[in-house]
Amino acid sequence: MSAPFRLASGGLIDRGKPLSFSFDGKTYNGFAGDTLASALIANGVKLVSRSFKYHRPRGILTAGSEEPNALVELRSGARREPNTRATVTELYDGLVAASQNRWPSLALDVSGINDLLSPFLAAGFYYKTFMWPAKFWEALYEPLIRRAAGLGRVAGAEDPDTYEKAFAHCDVLVIGAGPAGLMAALAAGRAGARVILADEDFRLGGRLLAERHEIDGRPGAAWAAGIEAELSAMPEVRIMHRTTVLGVYDHGQYSAVERVNDHVATPPIHEPRQRSWKIVAKRAVLAAGALERPIAFGNNDRPGVMLAGAARAYINRYAATPGKRLAVFTNNDDGWRTAADARTAGIEVVAVVDSRAAKSELSKLGFSTMSNSRVSHVDGKQGVRAIDVVGANGRATRIECDALAVSGGWNPAVHLTCHLGGKPVWNDEIAAFVPGTRPPAMYAAGATNGAFTLSRCLTGGIAAGAMAAGDCGFDFTPITQPRADDEPAAVTPLWHVKESRAKAFVDFQNDVTAKDIALAHQEGFGSVEHLKRYTTLGMATDQGKTANVTGLAILAEASGRAIPQVGTTTYRPPYVPVSFGAMAGHHRGRDFRPIRLPPSHAWATEQGAVFMETGAWLRAQYYPRAGETDWLQSVNREVAATRASVGVCDVSTFGKVAFEGPDAAAFLDRVCANTLSTLPVGKARYALMLREDGFVQDDGTVARLGPEYFVMTSTTANAPRMMQHLEFCHQVLWPALDVGMVSVSEQWAQFAVAGPRSRDVLCKLIDADIANAAFPYLGAREVSFGGVSARLFRLSFSGELAYELAVPARYGDAVIRAIMAAGAEFAITPYGIEALGVMRTEKGHVAGQEMNGQLTARDLGLGRMMSTRKDYIGRVMAQRPALLDPERPAFVGLRPVERSARLRAGAHFIPVGAAATIENDEGYMTSVAFSPTFGHWIGLGVLKRGPERIGQRVRAYDPVRNGDVEVEVCSPHFFDPEGARLHA
Amino acid sequence: MPDAVLQARSPLHGLARSGHHGRAGPAGLTIVERTDIAFASVIARRGQRDALASAVRASFGLALPDGPRRVGKDGVAFAGIGPGQWIASGENAGDLAASLRERIGAFAAVADQSDSRLVLHLSGARVRDALVKGVPIDLHPRAFKTGDVASTLVAHVGVQIDMLDDAPVFQLTAPRSMAGSFWSWLTASAAEFGYDVATK
Repeated sequence: MSAPFRLASGGLIDRGKPLSFSFDGKTYNGFAGDTLASALIANGVKLVSRSFKYHRPRGILTAGSEEPNALVELRSGARREPNTRATVTELYDGLVAASQNRWPSLALDVSGINDLLSPFLAAGFYYKTFMWPAKFWEALYEPLIRRAAGLGRVAGAEDPDTYEKAFAHCDVLVIGAGPAGLMAALAAGRAGARVILADEDFRLGGRLLAERHEIDGRPGAAWAAGIEAELSAMPEVRIMHRTTVLGVYDHGQYSAVERVNDHVATPPIHEPRQRSWKIVAKRAVLAAGALERPIAFGNNDRPGVMLAGAARAYINRYAATPGKRLAVFTNNDDGWRTAADARTAGIEVVAVVDSRAAKSELSKLGFSTMSNSRVSHVDGKQGVRAIDVVGANGRATRIECDALAVSGGWNPAVHLTCHLGGKPVWNDEIAAFVPGTRPPAMYAAGATNGAFTLSRCLTGGIAAGAMAAGDCGFDFTPITQPRADDEPAAVTPLWHVKESRAKAFVDFQNDVTAKDIALAHQEGFGSVEHLKRYTTLGMATDQGKTANVTGLAILAEASGRAIPQVGTTTYRPPYVPVSFGAMAGHHRGRDFRPIRLPPSHAWATEQGAVFMETGAWLRAQYYPRAGETDWLQSVNREVAATRASVGVCDVSTFGKVAFEGPDAAAFLDRVCANTLSTLPVGKARYALMLREDGFVQDDGTVARLGPEYFVMTSTTANAPRMMQHLEFCHQVLWPALDVGMVSVSEQWAQFAVAGPRSRDVLCKLIDADIANAAFPYLGAREVSFGGVSARLFRLSFSGELAYELAVPARYGDAVIRAIMAAGAEFAITPYGIEALGVMRTEKGHVAGQEMNGQLTARDLGLGRMMSTRKDYIGRVMAQRPALLDPERPAFVGLRPVERSARLRAGAHFIPVGAAATIENDEGYMTSVAFSPTFGHWIGLGVLKRGPERIGQRVRAYDPVRNGDVEVEVCSPHFFDPEGARLHA
Repeated sequence: MPDAVLQARSPLHGLARSGHHGRAGPAGLTIVERTDIAFASVIARRGQRDALASAVRASFGLALPDGPRRVGKDGVAFAGIGPGQWIASGENAGDLAASLRERIGAFAAVADQSDSRLVLHLSGARVRDALVKGVPIDLHPRAFKTGDVASTLVAHVGVQIDMLDDAPVFQLTAPRSMAGSFWSWLTASAAEFGYDVATK
């Protein structure tokens, strides 16, 4: 039961709260406060994954979010999440994790043979090996490679959890809650600023939690807890645990992800699993710390080889030791502290190997020290058995051990300083990049800023927090700097141990070795960006956090350049992987985007309507009845019933704009191609709007309800764009016109009542004389409907005697029910937008398919609507010679010669007997419909000199759907061309 | 001849159920759907901004605000939503648009908008915590005060937010046709804190 590598005492774990978890089906125990990684280490589990390409056995390299190796599938079933870093996975009771990228098991992985095949799998192998034959790439090579080289498996089922997006605002955003971040937050908070302190850990303190530092005579973790308590008591300070700031954007915007409930098996009801934040901050203090880097030497990826700072974190914070006999390999003073802390914890330290010639001041600690020496090889496959150390004399010594802690120095986490294009600069003293040009409102403090000692972190944090708050107008109250030491932190770079015989890894996640980098250089990939693409160095989930600087340093060596000359690759958000769920938040499924529902929606649902999306609207497409087997049957019935008696359709979705003012008529004359100022009060008129370039933009109707009061409709799909256009015209083009305009689209429910009995239905409902004489075609007036003031328009899109009745939207539901009840005796039939489309096609009205941005009013047979007596938008450009060319395709109707043939919109017209070539193309079909009125398909389209060719035949050629139908050219007005029914 | 009295439906008809929802226990926020407030858009005639302000002062005793602020008295309020544009509102005001047209119509275009929007009044200790899940603007008391008005996008829906008092009470209005989608977002966001729904 007891975990063999758990230290008897110490650590920040809660030994009173034991937790059970399983890894690869085997059950283990850990404690609250553990991560999955620390619990695995405590249980002596060294092998946790297989590498991406070579399937080499891998263990745990780090103790943070930069982990390249220890990726697992976390949880099971629909909640299974691949590529989860064990190092930042908080342990909870019942946690289930599995290793990935192995078969049949982690220990016996058959693809491990890739390691032996590695001579063929070097950098860029897929550019070389699988080039021939080319067609094999998609069919064979790529699937094979993808199966062998992989990360985890997605769940394959819908995620049962919810996610959220949220916004936060503050004066000062502090990123990272280590010693520098805590002091920055404290300084800004005491000054009175609104502060957000975000840290990706579940406990504040940063490296203080992993070290044995004391501040003001207290252990670092206890000191951090004290600061947290003070910050928590400040009303304007918000502490965000488990929150990683991912990216920096313009205008002080930051993205972050909060892992609200990743530390429990199932989120509590009503709570999200994760929440993605957009934080808007006047100033930010980046105190993200530093990331330790490995050294490339033979088999440096073996389980049991760990970064020295991580080893310290496991020993000090989690009371879990990576081994019983620990060796340390370092090029800097910091590595020595791992040896010191391990010894304090009772772990045997067999050797400290220091690559530096000069003795560290820490060598007086009395370890078995090998200076001016390098580890060249690790012996052991699924764990460490021994290391070979090459001394100054070039001779190798074998030292037996079961764990090796490695420190190649520390890289400041400069990432967020670079997201807006800043480039980091090289600092020789710490042999690392530090922030160069920072984003305009960002300060950096602590290790991120290259200040590697505790005392300097505290100083830098106070200064940055004070400056940030000061920038926001808050007076700084001096803070006494806590007492802490400046620990030794000297470093002499060592990137690669040249004596290595086995593979020396630089990028563990992508299996990129020092040799691969040399190869890439040799093959001409000297730019660091090319190096990345050729070798995959720095790609995938860890984005090379432990690898990049080492990689480019080795490239610099290989190419004889200095590191600053080589430079870094581009740093981009997100800083750590983020789930799609967090990015989508609430907006998935039906909530992907807002859905607009017309006022009759509930009623239409009761009728069993089938709905379709038109723009953001959900509209009734057709209303199937029992016994109808397909949509066409329903649509035919709806058309026939409307034409025979009466039908009703919700047209509330049209855009509706009210115009009011002495210049309203003048404004409409300028916006529309036809004249509207002559419209009498109480009348409506068709209106046509052109774009500046002379092509048709939209159409609609304009009704004049008062001398200075007009209401315009526009098509459903174009409504928002038309409103923008009208506002632009008024605000920018003609601000001097005295007209007010406002959208009233949402205010009115509007129903089209169409068919020979439509008047009979409405007479039963409204208090007004609407006989033909009193209210002729194109009449518009206010009426009273059941005590509600309504508007009635005698407009028709269907070609029938028809009305549009508008009522305040709250009565829309009641009115559709009232219309249906009143129409019952006439067998009134609700019709959807399919029937609407059929009827307008039969009538030859243009719609969205014709107003496609490529056709002019002349093309559409609407040339006579273009006024010659006034100026209007599009008038001049519509007169361009090419648009007046009589050869331009123009609007006609079409019907199949063989009447049973089906027509297809999009078919192109070719002369009968001519080849189907571009040269012979004479136009195209814009709309088609099956006409129940005529019993065959009909079409509308534009045909070269079409109106002169009535009665001729052309081919309607549709290579996409293998259509080739001979059609007869006819008038587009199939139905009631004289308009007798409209005026009935 | 018609005689039926038409039944009005609120934008949330069939969606909002009165009572407690979400997390059990004391409600973090209270959501009241208001159907008793009339709205009208008011757009100043060219060159009549000052005359309009005088008329509003004379008729309603209110100083027409410049910028995104609202002023109110005796149930009537004006909220600035753009240069020379306001949304007027009135509680139990009958035909507000007609009344406005009569009193200030010489200086402004007036359009009834009473049916165009979902109107919610939100209050409670956790109201801001729920709203931040979609409201991109800063609602902190230092940044958004009583009488402040904002037009913004919440969960892809165009929303006007008025802060009515320091309790705080926020009035949110959203297009009627998007009431269902907006309600889906709001209730999902409020569930964590527990919320009461009431209608008035």
